[in-house]
Amino acid sequence: MILQYNIGGNSGYSIQYSPFFDNRLAVASGSNYGLVGNGKLFILDIDERGKIKENNIFITQDCLFDLSWNELHENQVLVAQGDGSLRLFDTTLQKYPIGIFKEHKKEVLSCNWNLITKGTFVSSSWDGAVKMWSPLREQSLLTLLPKSSEQSSKINHNQIAKIPPHVNNNQSTPILQNKDCVYQAQFSPHDNNLIACCSGNSYITLFDTREQNNRFNNNSFIAHSGLETLTLDFNKYRPTVLASSGADNSIKIWDMRMIRNNNSNNTVMPTSNPICMNEIRKAHDLAVRRVVWSPHQSNLLLSTSYDMTSKVWKDFSFDGSKITGKTNSIDPGSGLIKTFHHHTEFVFGADWSLWGQPGFIATTGWDSKVYIWNCFYP
Amino acid sequence: MSERLQSVSNHLQASISNSVGFVCPTKKNPDDVVIIQAKRSAIAKGFKGSFKDLNTDYLLQQFLIEFLKTLPDNLKSNPRLIEEIVCGNVLNYGAGATEHRSACLAAGIPYTTAFMALNRQCSSGLTAVNDIANKIKTGQIEIGLALGVESMTKNYASVNPLGRISEEMKINKEARKCLIPMGITNENIAQQFGISRKEQDEFAANSYKKASNAIKNGLFKNEILPIKTPDGKIVTIDEGPREGVTADSLGNLKPAFIKDKGSTTAGNASQVSDGVAGVLLTRRSVAEKFGFPVIGRYLAFQAVGVPPEVMGVGPAYAIPRVLKDVGLTIDNIDVFEINEAFAAQALYCINKLGIKREKVNPKGGAIALGHPLGCTGARQVATIMNELKTNQIGVVSMCIGTGMGAAAVFIKE
Repeated sequence: MILQYNIGGNSGYSIQYSPFFDNRLAVASGSNYGLVGNGKLFILDIDERGKIKENNIFITQDCLFDLSWNELHENQVLVAQGDGSLRLFDTTLQKYPIGIFKEHKKEVLSCNWNLITKGTFVSSSWDGAVKMWSPLREQSLLTLLPKSSEQSSKINHNQIAKIPPHVNNNQSTPILQNKDCVYQAQFSPHDNNLIACCSGNSYITLFDTREQNNRFNNNSFIAHSGLETLTLDFNKYRPTVLASSGADNSIKIWDMRMIRNNNSNNTVMPTSNPICMNEIRKAHDLAVRRVVWSPHQSNLLLSTSYDMTSKVWKDFSFDGSKITGKTNSIDPGSGLIKTFHHHTEFVFGADWSLWGQPGFIATTGWDSKVYIWNCFYP
Repeated sequence: MSERLQSVSNHLQASISNSVGFVCPTKKNPDDVVIIQAKRSAIAKGFKGSFKDLNTDYLLQQFLIEFLKTLPDNLKSNPRLIEEIVCGNVLNYGAGATEHRSACLAAGIPYTTAFMALNRQCSSGLTAVNDIANKIKTGQIEIGLALGVESMTKNYASVNPLGRISEEMKINKEARKCLIPMGITNENIAQQFGISRKEQDEFAANSYKKASNAIKNGLFKNEILPIKTPDGKIVTIDEGPREGVTADSLGNLKPAFIKDKGSTTAGNASQVSDGVAGVLLTRRSVAEKFGFPVIGRYLAFQAVGVPPEVMGVGPAYAIPRVLKDVGLTIDNIDVFEINEAFAAQALYCINKLGIKREKVNPKGGAIALGHPLGCTGARQVATIMNELKTNQIGVVSMCIGTGMGAAAVFIKE
């Protein structure tokens, strides 16, 4: 059983189930593939007969790249907009936002509500900054700068430049483009002070919002061997575990406990890396846009990709109670549970349903489609 | 708009170019097969060396006792974690399946650790590494030990392969090529590819020079574990290398296989020796789970067939094959450990592949150190792990009697 909805000529970038209503979804989209033109926020309801219906829409001046439901208010949705602003909409009203948060200088690429305090949200932008906000204030509470390319230029030379020392690949040009662009920032669902973000310079950076001197925050590491890290997600059950993916087509699962601060000597290695517990190599044929851990199982995650598929994976490095030391490479199918083939364009947004039977997933992409499917159904 | 389009285009470009396989020494993956420890015994001279009265099971037991001592505490105290031992051996009956299993038990390896005896002639030690690595890759085991042990003193003379071969094989034109003595296969190479006696002697003298220098400067100290003989003697130094060997002094030796015309002598062929070596492997994710130190990474292995009558050309075909698998070229390799079964075949392979001479066997090879058949491959891994510097790439290779070559690629961490 697959549910389908057409968002009429708009390209879907992000989708999220309401944390309050089991039949409600929000979709962030942009016209003209999100490259230029208006954005459109869809509020969709699933009726008793399993049909997806439009509950409300909001048209914005620029494309929308991400959204996040307000965890405190059942009718409020936040969107990340291409003009550098974040907008908060009340789904019971029409047309206009109830809040505008504009500080970012370029496209806002992600937004995420704090699941613990529920009173703050975080945004990340192409301008290289991560900002923390309160819906009650127009100005941001905090601006965080992950390791920028200038700071890491030496490291780039030492590490990234050497990536193909022995080989046949010509990947040297794209590596450092969009270098400071922060594709995603997310609050930890376990610690309300912890923010993780990932950037075009391949770095994942961790921030503790209580730390004073975030400017030189060094809790960062190259996650995808110099290629752009496009997405990350905190595991909902394991506080120290993070999944990430990006332009190297592989999904990595990290245990963050090994990061050490290494301020004194920034000429050598950036920091000692956290442990990469598992890597699903060639998870997709093209770059991966989103990884999301299951809300029901600690070792299940989904991914979406430019290769027009969405896939669900079992993480072999964890058996539900302990670290196994295994990697997905030992499985003939690399731990693949399900491939969803119905999209006919790049798949960008995806979310697991918190509701009902485990395994329901909503996806959206450039083909103007919203699909709801279950990864456990044949 | 153009920026957003460019961004999407970059994601696609990067992911397409990245789909070509490549080797990056600094890139560590959790599913890498890694080496926790690689050690060897000193190589003793056959028939008159320190191990001349010892059986392979004794050598293996003593080696394992010492080997276990070098392991991380949490592994030392729980050797049960080693799920399988594969031991390469050529000359013992049944490759030593019985006595080597018992040597493992005697050394304190629990009976739960499975054992396998393996024989692929001179590549047995390296093939054991490959076998363990494959089992780790597929998830069949998590930690495994590859060994190689040989007493040519005890078993060389007693094995007569020709005695076990049927008439049907002897009259078959192809099959009987497998019966050609190794020395003759080398004479074939020398003759066919025009490798002069002088070149061979110079190559051999150089091997001696490098090996005795290495011993003098203590360069083998890190890789050699002491073997205690029953009379209490502790053996820690290779016995093969002699000082003062020159091409001229080797030039006086008489050909060993073909009187008069031959060019292969006892001086430019590998020595008859006794020894043992071991390589402990695991998956990186397991090493990190237990906190084991990682000294290197196993990348790939290939064995290829070549004409039996010129079996010594094996490395010239096995090395390109394995390098192709991992997308590397000869120039990418920092050190080659190519077994010197004979100077002529080693020279042929080095010249054919265009390998820089200084990259090959920097501490000498089997001509000086000895070639305890089943042990050699594992011995070379222990040696190359000490020769390579961090992030350097090494190749271990050898020719194989009956016409094969084997090669494996390693990265030092």
